[in-house]
Amino acid sequence: MPRDYSGIRESRPNTFTDLGGQSEEITEGFNKVCLKAADRTFSQGLQCQQINSISALLSLGSSAFVVHSPQGCAGCLSMFSDMYRVGQAHRGVSLIKSPRVIVTNLDTNDVIHGGEGKLVEAIKLASDRYNPEIIFVFTSCASGIIGDDVDAIVLEQQAKYDSILVPVHCDGFKSKICASGFDAAFIAIQNYLLPKEPQVKQKGLVNLFAPVSISYKDQLEIERMLGLLGVEVNYIPFYSSLSKIRRITSAEASTSICKVFADEFMKTLDEDYGIPFAHTVMPIGVRNTDKWFLGIAELLGKGDLAREYIEKERARVLPQLASIRERLQGKRVFICGGTGRSFAAAALIDDFGMELVGLETPTYDLDAQIDVEYLNGIHGDYVIDVANMQPFEQVNLVNRLKPDVFIGVPSWSARFGIPTTHVLDPKRATMGYDGILFLGNKIAEQVSNPGFNKKLSQYARLPYKKSWYEQDAFQFIKGVGE
Amino acid sequence: MSKIVEMPRASCVLGGLNAVLTSLQNVSPIYHSGPGCCMQTTAGVSGQAGLRGSSFLASVSLPCSNMLEREVVFGGEQKLRDEIDGSLEIIDADAYFVLTGCTAGIIGDDVAAVTAEYRNKGLPVYPIETPGFAGDTLLGYETAFDSFIEYIAESQPRQANLVNLLGVVPQHDPYWFGTLEELTRILNKLGLEVNSFFTQRQGIETVKRSGSAALNIIVSPWLLKGAASKYEEKFGIPSIRFNGVPYGATQTAEFIRGVGEALDLDKTLVESVIEEENIYVYGLFETIIGALSWKKFVVAADAATAISITRFLADDFSFTPVAVIITEPIWSSSDKDRITKALSSLEYAKPPIISFLVDHYDIRQEIKKHDFTLLIGSSLEDEVARELGVQLNRLAFPISDQLIINRTYAGYRGCLTLVEDLYNNL
Repeated sequence: MPRDYSGIRESRPNTFTDLGGQSEEITEGFNKVCLKAADRTFSQGLQCQQINSISALLSLGSSAFVVHSPQGCAGCLSMFSDMYRVGQAHRGVSLIKSPRVIVTNLDTNDVIHGGEGKLVEAIKLASDRYNPEIIFVFTSCASGIIGDDVDAIVLEQQAKYDSILVPVHCDGFKSKICASGFDAAFIAIQNYLLPKEPQVKQKGLVNLFAPVSISYKDQLEIERMLGLLGVEVNYIPFYSSLSKIRRITSAEASTSICKVFADEFMKTLDEDYGIPFAHTVMPIGVRNTDKWFLGIAELLGKGDLAREYIEKERARVLPQLASIRERLQGKRVFICGGTGRSFAAAALIDDFGMELVGLETPTYDLDAQIDVEYLNGIHGDYVIDVANMQPFEQVNLVNRLKPDVFIGVPSWSARFGIPTTHVLDPKRATMGYDGILFLGNKIAEQVSNPGFNKKLSQYARLPYKKSWYEQDAFQFIKGVGE
Repeated sequence: MSKIVEMPRASCVLGGLNAVLTSLQNVSPIYHSGPGCCMQTTAGVSGQAGLRGSSFLASVSLPCSNMLEREVVFGGEQKLRDEIDGSLEIIDADAYFVLTGCTAGIIGDDVAAVTAEYRNKGLPVYPIETPGFAGDTLLGYETAFDSFIEYIAESQPRQANLVNLLGVVPQHDPYWFGTLEELTRILNKLGLEVNSFFTQRQGIETVKRSGSAALNIIVSPWLLKGAASKYEEKFGIPSIRFNGVPYGATQTAEFIRGVGEALDLDKTLVESVIEEENIYVYGLFETIIGALSWKKFVVAADAATAISITRFLADDFSFTPVAVIITEPIWSSSDKDRITKALSSLEYAKPPIISFLVDHYDIRQEIKKHDFTLLIGSSLEDEVARELGVQLNRLAFPISDQLIINRTYAGYRGCLTLVEDLYNNL
């Protein structure tokens, strides 16, 4: 593999995970290369990369999965198994399947003597029971620290099986950035499933990489839009298969609908297989949908066709947005989301004339800098919290900034009585031009009808001391070595 | 000892600890673990037990040292101290428990020593040293009570009408909250005060007072043997054990009489409570006679749920038991015997075929062997129920596709809800 990327996102230059301050000060600091590597001396639980690796691959219906870990590391299956099942229901499947996941259930004995025997046995069970196309093996903190040599076992066991054995190195303690787990999944695909030689390109075939949080309705809409450019979509990895994965290298181009999903993988495809890519934004909101669609269209030499379509859609959608805009104009917003969704939401609120007062996003890098500079131009100075959730900081900021609406996971801010809403709705349509109308109406309705949160706030409790709300939200962020 | 398992029906030790600690009011777990454990153990426990979580701390709001490679290589004790300091500074809790994740457990960070530094300063910070990999949610539940007895429960004068209600694992039993409420309601009618620990905003004060109770009432055929003997040794509190949460008139009457005898309560009072509740339940059963068609049923559930539902459907509702699969790991043969005996001693019906299977594939294969029309199981049985074209009612963990707040199938009122849910118009 010529391209050398470890899959650990914080290993990329100028990537920050622990940072807080005013947006203008941060963009300036980034430009002058004087932002410091930091850490939080107090923090709340993160999402580990193993969760993302499992989420990325679990809907490959013709595969089986071995999680080489204690039982607790399979907890996230509750979320992704549900998504997979709902995804099947939306796709009209009546005999809805559970994913086939076998956990080695590492215990005290294995921690002392090694868990390799159990891994061998679990692979055999997966093969005997389901004879799948692929058996993915996910590593864990425990398997990594005790030193089980998963690659060696896979190499040695492969000869016995028709299924392709694919280790995914996603030990939780290796990265603070959960999106590293997406990279781990794609590195595994690249090393074990892709043909080694560049393939004959198929004109019009485009890889579309999309994370699990994209609803089926969104998939259809995005495929429809790309269809207008005469494109055949290879939708990866959800509900796909080994044959679709193998077609990746025959594609003419690639694009993604999330900023941190397959971005590194698309670079690899470009460098190793000569497949160019458009890495832009998540197609949520007018500007982002334009930008995303134009990105892939220009790459295919169909910019004019795309611009024509965008004109038409703008003419259709913008008048409808005007009434939503009237209801939302000037409302002050705090946004918290994953990397893709947080910036998508920030772009979306422009469509409605809302004002950004706070933005929480998990990582800060050159990509984020470009978005933040753009947002600074519209909203001026606002607060940025670079955090993967960290609700203690969020409630401190929300309490201080008193926004008119909170966009993100509502669990905590709702208790202040302010309206809450989200642009993440993995079971409904949120993308493309019609998605804007859905989200706009949703936000406007939730802002104008805040009864639940208002009434709840009279009784709701948060776990923090009163004194915390008087303190600096970023006081636990300390420069490494300070 | 843990076995390889397809689609596990429990989390790890941390899952059980998290469930217990965050179901108490104002208690803060502090995870000394890798960066995903808070989310994994919340998604894997309350996230599949009807989806309601803790209102205090849950998932990504749980304090966590988020150990990375640096800590794994050089040790994480200083990182833990920082995390505890921060927790004490901002989290408004009555007690803080440090949990040992796999990372901390394998590299051997001395959680006991670090927490002792704080207790020496009079701060309520306690260690739980059993690491995540040592077992499952149920071991976590037992470990939490072991720690409560060791560190929190106080030796106070015996309170004759106070009981500890144990054996319902919060956030794991999907109906835990409503079940504890219904059993509390019934015990209150007997003039008893109930430490349910997890309802009525009980917290550390309840745990302290649990040392002065007159009786432990354990509604599980096997859980908490260790805690029961520790409560006995340390505080002289005896325990009475039932095979499960009582469902319906027959089992709940046994439950009431059992508690009445153990505490030597006035027999007239005991019988009058049973009579009053029976009149209520049968007064309503009279209004739905014939509403449910006859069913032959298979159960795939944890032991306590399996025993209670099998007895209720067979003894009180005249359905036909076909097979029962106990889906949680039962290690001891005496526990297996007790469970088998409970399932075989039905009043009228022929005993079901009983098996003990933890692995989802094995459970599915066993279910497919039988001829039946009603499946009592979990969300995981949805697939096989669709395949076989039988009705599925979700009673046992995991339930990930239904929202459950305070409903219950327990006791008198719960059994009516159960019958409502068994109704099938198709």
